[in-house]
Amino acid sequence: MATPHMASLYHELQRVFEARPTDLAKTGKLLTQLKIGLVDAGLYPPQGASNLEDLVVTRDILEIGALWSTRVKDIPSFDRYFSQLQVFYTDYSSVLPPSKREYPIRGLNLVRLLTQNRIADFHTTLESLPLSADQIAESPYISHPVNLERWLMEGSYSKVWNAREEAPTEEYKIFVDSLVGTIRNEIASCEEAAYNSLPLKDAATLLFFRNQTELLSFARERGWQIDLTGATIHFTKKGEEKIEIPKEKLISQNLAYARELEQII
Amino acid sequence: MADVEMKPADTIQDKFEDKKDAKEPTPPPTPAAEIKSNIALIEKAVWSLEPRFAHRVLRSFTALRKKLDDAVLREAIQEVYPADSTVKGSLLSWLPEAPTRESMDVDGVPTTKPPTSDPVPEVQIYLQLLLIHHLLTKPETYPKAITLVKETVAKMQALNRRSMDPIAAKVWYAVERVHELAGDLAEARPLFLAAQRTASLRHDDETQASLINRLLRNYLHYSLYDQADKLVSKTTFPTSASNPQFARYHYYLGRIKAVQLNYTEAHTNVRQAIRRAPHAKTAPGFYQAVHKLFVVVELLMGDIPDRSLFRHPVLEKALSGYFDIVKAVRAGSLSQFQATLSQYSAQFEADKTHTLIGRLRQNVIKTGIRRLSLSYSRISLRDICFKLHLDSEEDAEYIVGKAIRDGVIEGRIVHEQGWMECDGQKSGYGPEVSEVFGKRIAYCLELHNQSVKAMRYPLNAHRKELAAAEGAREREKELAKEIQEGGDIDDDDVGPGDAF
Repeated sequence: MATPHMASLYHELQRVFEARPTDLAKTGKLLTQLKIGLVDAGLYPPQGASNLEDLVVTRDILEIGALWSTRVKDIPSFDRYFSQLQVFYTDYSSVLPPSKREYPIRGLNLVRLLTQNRIADFHTTLESLPLSADQIAESPYISHPVNLERWLMEGSYSKVWNAREEAPTEEYKIFVDSLVGTIRNEIASCEEAAYNSLPLKDAATLLFFRNQTELLSFARERGWQIDLTGATIHFTKKGEEKIEIPKEKLISQNLAYARELEQII
Repeated sequence: MADVEMKPADTIQDKFEDKKDAKEPTPPPTPAAEIKSNIALIEKAVWSLEPRFAHRVLRSFTALRKKLDDAVLREAIQEVYPADSTVKGSLLSWLPEAPTRESMDVDGVPTTKPPTSDPVPEVQIYLQLLLIHHLLTKPETYPKAITLVKETVAKMQALNRRSMDPIAAKVWYAVERVHELAGDLAEARPLFLAAQRTASLRHDDETQASLINRLLRNYLHYSLYDQADKLVSKTTFPTSASNPQFARYHYYLGRIKAVQLNYTEAHTNVRQAIRRAPHAKTAPGFYQAVHKLFVVVELLMGDIPDRSLFRHPVLEKALSGYFDIVKAVRAGSLSQFQATLSQYSAQFEADKTHTLIGRLRQNVIKTGIRRLSLSYSRISLRDICFKLHLDSEEDAEYIVGKAIRDGVIEGRIVHEQGWMECDGQKSGYGPEVSEVFGKRIAYCLELHNQSVKAMRYPLNAHRKELAAAEGAREREKELAKEIQEGGDIDDDDVGPGDAF
């Protein structure tokens, strides 16, 4: 490390972060100090050929930073840490010894993309992982988000719900919890289309609500008709959809054909 | 018997004569002679500023490459360069020492006269290109090839001649090949990027097209889809690029779009790639790769590819795994799909389609539900769960609900009874028909426009027409003058129409 001061700060950070329960405020303060130190040492971002040991320490600090940001639920900060870490995971991968935190953090990033509904980015990131299909299935950190995505796409929402318990590390749960809101809205829109009416009790289980008041306020938000005496929800059908002829689209299409034909003749 | 044997020989002779008449005197096609005639063509291309001739040379490049050996190259270099040329020495130094015997071809080919001066530099680059490919045939000469490639690139960039562009584009392919065989493809990237910038500044379309493809391939080789996508959005692929380059570009684009879940665009691009691809027999590898991607993208879009595709002689074997996947998706059987996926997983992994095929799972489920909804008017969730091999009834309820919302099936769930009721299907003749129709028309129109653009016109051909037009204008002027001079004769004559 560049200076003895930095080294002591780094050890302090490690100690504070490993301690249970972690003192999050103190970790944050240490991280800020260390980052300034790293900038002075020209390691943030790393430039050219640096000392191997320094690079490992820098990576370690950034990894702690990424995990810390998820714990304090600061997603943009996680984003920043992750993009800085990517340099270490891709460009320096042949030089540096592999980090044991690499896949947990990559997995976290995947879950983050899922919660933000950035499915295309999710797949691009997944594709660029240097892992074969078997390795993905074996690594709990990566297979977790992969399964989540699959279940979300095919509609097995109960599996997503149950997966909260199977999260490989604590940090995953924070992200998965924010998924629940998305899922609920998805399920609600499915129910509106698929049911005429639904008993209140079943609706609560389908939507993963523990008590009725939560359900009632949710139903009011979506504008469902609640029949309290019969304890059922009625979904208003949005009238029989008439097949409309998309006039404007057809006209513009035909004009385009005419223009092209004109050019040919 | 003799008659029968004579005939084919005669026709061959005839054809040969024809060719001789058509082109300049063609030497018998020994490889060395072929190289020489190619060099003549390159010189012609340089003098006449017609890239057409250079393209003709490069078209035969692949075939010629296979016939190369040390003796052929040496002979070609000996005959093209004058005896005391320095370039000749440096070119020959790449080949192993010559056996001392004289070349046999000397009396076979009517050599016109020994060359007195060095030919144009394009010829040197062309010969070096041949040398590189020759060096790449044997692993022990790889290091030599790398040094030669570096030298060639440096020379090419120093010369900066527009007439060299077609050959330069090929040289970049060789650069990539050298790096790939040496196993350090990633290191060629900065070189390509720098060259691409220069090429786009110099409006060197051929090189640009070639380099963009090199870069895309490089990125996709390392699965860097993000960077590849950025490259595509930051560059414009030159419209004057040749067909094979376009085919590659469309293929890479198709792959990027497919990974990004933009299946419609992926489909358009892959279809363009198929259309522009060389004939199946000449480039079977590319043909197969494109079709693999095509099948997967088509499945992801919810379509089932044509069965005849899988009977194509070139594709039949290569696509067998994909055929099984198609069958599983068509049947809507999850277990069959999973079995096929694990059976061929090594192949799909090698083709880099594994994750794409993994995404088909949801399509399989959708097809399954659709089939059930067509055949039953009412079916319990338990049965659905059983028939589709789902894990629980609960899942089945959510999945069916999603299918109804997404418009895959028409129907509703009755929760109290635990079954799904299906309505009859819609007539199926709605606005979406015009959409499909529109898509096909758009494809045909684009095909037409591209073929118009692909037509070539010889340089300066319009001069003749211009001259004719000039003459006509001249005559018109004279006529106008005459009319003016004789104007006072018939003042009240309103228009020329009356004169007729």
